[in-house]
Amino acid sequence: MRLLSKGHSAMVAGLMVLAIGSAACSSDSSTVAGGATSGDAGAVSNQPFGAACSAVPADGAGSFDGMAQDPVATAASNNTVLSTLVTAVTEAGLVDTLNGTDDITVFAPINDAFAAMDKKTLNAAMADPKGLLTTVLTYHVVAGRLSPADLAGTHDTLEGSTLEVTGSGEDFTVNGSAAVVCGNVQTANATVYLIDGVLMPPDA
Amino acid sequence: MNPDPPSADTAAVKSVDVSHRGAFGAILGVASAAVAIGLGHLVAGIVGREASPVIAVGSAAIDLTPEWLKSFAIQTFGERDKTVLLGGIAVVVVLAAVALGVVSVRRRTVGLMGLAVLGMVGVTAALTRPTSNAVDALPSIMGALAGAATLIALHRRLAPAPPHPPTPTAAIGVERRRFLLGGAAALGLAALAGETGQLLSRRFAADASRAAVTIPRPVDPAGSAPAGADLEVEGLSQFYTPNAEFYRVDTALLVPAVRTEDWRLRVHGMVERELLLDFEQLIARDLIERDITLTCVSNEIGGDYVGNARWVGAPLAPLLEEAGVDPAADQLVSRSVDGFTVGTPTAAVTDGRDAMLAVQMNGEPLPLTHGFPVRMLVPGLYGYVSATKWITELELSTFDAFDPYWVRRGWAAQAPIKTQSRIDTPRPLAKVPAGRAVIAGVAWAQRRGIERVEVRIDDEPWREADLSTQDTVDTWRQWRVDWDATDPGSHTLQVRATDATGATQTADRVEPFPDGATGQHQLVVTVT
Repeated sequence: MRLLSKGHSAMVAGLMVLAIGSAACSSDSSTVAGGATSGDAGAVSNQPFGAACSAVPADGAGSFDGMAQDPVATAASNNTVLSTLVTAVTEAGLVDTLNGTDDITVFAPINDAFAAMDKKTLNAAMADPKGLLTTVLTYHVVAGRLSPADLAGTHDTLEGSTLEVTGSGEDFTVNGSAAVVCGNVQTANATVYLIDGVLMPPDA
Repeated sequence: MNPDPPSADTAAVKSVDVSHRGAFGAILGVASAAVAIGLGHLVAGIVGREASPVIAVGSAAIDLTPEWLKSFAIQTFGERDKTVLLGGIAVVVVLAAVALGVVSVRRRTVGLMGLAVLGMVGVTAALTRPTSNAVDALPSIMGALAGAATLIALHRRLAPAPPHPPTPTAAIGVERRRFLLGGAAALGLAALAGETGQLLSRRFAADASRAAVTIPRPVDPAGSAPAGADLEVEGLSQFYTPNAEFYRVDTALLVPAVRTEDWRLRVHGMVERELLLDFEQLIARDLIERDITLTCVSNEIGGDYVGNARWVGAPLAPLLEEAGVDPAADQLVSRSVDGFTVGTPTAAVTDGRDAMLAVQMNGEPLPLTHGFPVRMLVPGLYGYVSATKWITELELSTFDAFDPYWVRRGWAAQAPIKTQSRIDTPRPLAKVPAGRAVIAGVAWAQRRGIERVEVRIDDEPWREADLSTQDTVDTWRQWRVDWDATDPGSHTLQVRATDATGATQTADRVEPFPDGATGQHQLVVTVT
């Protein structure tokens, strides 16, 4: 019995490898005509974590599986808790930039984070989409896909200055203020950590 | 595989009612042999079809069959001689498996030895094939090991665990169920493994078929691409997209593996006469050679589901003419071997554009992933309404009468390719060293052609890009702009194209669903 079940799981594993191997360029056929994105399907497989993850729908484009098929800005646009961020990214003209950059990590402030933000700063940023807003948004992006194991530490952002993540396990805080409320969400080109505060670069 | 305690054989004998021994033994033997053969076939699907115990032993048996018996078989069974041979081998294996299984109930070692012999026969057959190499022994060895594991596992289910009190009647009822479930699981596993191996080995057969294909020279060649069609800027997409980098979008989880020998195209539906073509007949037609840029409707702004290749194929229009298309048939439905359907306006195929049944891509037979042996191409239309891979059927129909695969899922029935442009270099969020930089990319408007590309840096006025020489209206054009990137910091680059009708690409953004994205590609870079 033991041997048989071993053989069986090896078989199943074999079939899974096959499925992944041949599906690397085809994906959820219900959302994409022709069925596909060419994202690296095998990149990271561990699960998202955090209290706010439960708000994510179980299926459809806004689910974790759905988001994994789309590039990050498209994925975010299917997630209702990120609608303010998506508006800001669109205003700043950063949609293609975020979608088109391979292997990045995005700290994505949820709607509540923008709501809690100082109104004057928010208005100033929104009034200057190519300047302050772009600076603030690119401060939320780090080159490379950070796994939870690599998350703690100081990271160079694409804005130029650094941010610092403290914590461990499933409990992380960015720059001592913004908590990760749902982390390790995979999209086709980025790993996303949803945070409950908007990060401000030091010189902004 | 730990050896059982020495008492196991004896315990098994005692626990099984003599009247059941035959049936249990038969299941034990057949299930173990089936797992051995099924797994062997699966492994052969990976290392090579000829190494399958089934194929290797069958081939060896054919070689060893005396000439008189072969002639007799061919005369008696005709083309079915090989089926009869394989059937004969199967009968022998099943009988041997039953016999060994029955003996194994008492003496498990005999069953294991039987599997070892089966494995050795497979290894010998595989290694004595003319083109064999050492890995060809793997399928039979791994199959025999899996068979042995199955035999041991099922055999344990015949024997109650030693500490149990001796309650033979009750024990047998429970054991029987456990044993039968185990046997059924083993047979299911064997069938799954065998079927998967079969699917995989078809891929080898198709690979071999592809390697043997010779496409005749096109009677209407494309000639070399014009000088200056490729601007050769670092980071810019090549004019011809290499096959290995060409985007692939389809619904096939397992790539269909079709041999040219097995390929047929049926033209039917609203036609005066049905046509049936095989591959030789198709490539014997007057072939054309064309450069065509393909685009997927799912391509996002700035996305890479677009590629340009040189194709050789048989023009579609004359074929439809031979079939005699009913003028009311406004939709040409094409079907791939896996049942996927595509609907193309009949008018788009017959209006003089280079719609074809392509057999060659960038100088080689179509790769399996791109539809070997034959795919359809219609310049100017998104792939999901024109570019059927592994095509096997053309049915003249109407848009009213039939909704193809993606249309049933809400995508538009009509989908001409929209004018688009893309910045290839610099990459988004790139750090551009201050000084002279090059912004370059591609633009496409199949059937219309690209007339102008403009680039905007931040809020400066649009500046016109230099264009590569146009190959045809059906191919993309490259463009470049020299940029004095002197101002450090973040800059937004944006591009837009104008087609030869004078229409400029809209800035209004819509997502790919349901008939292709619009909007102008823009990205942010940092000058340092």
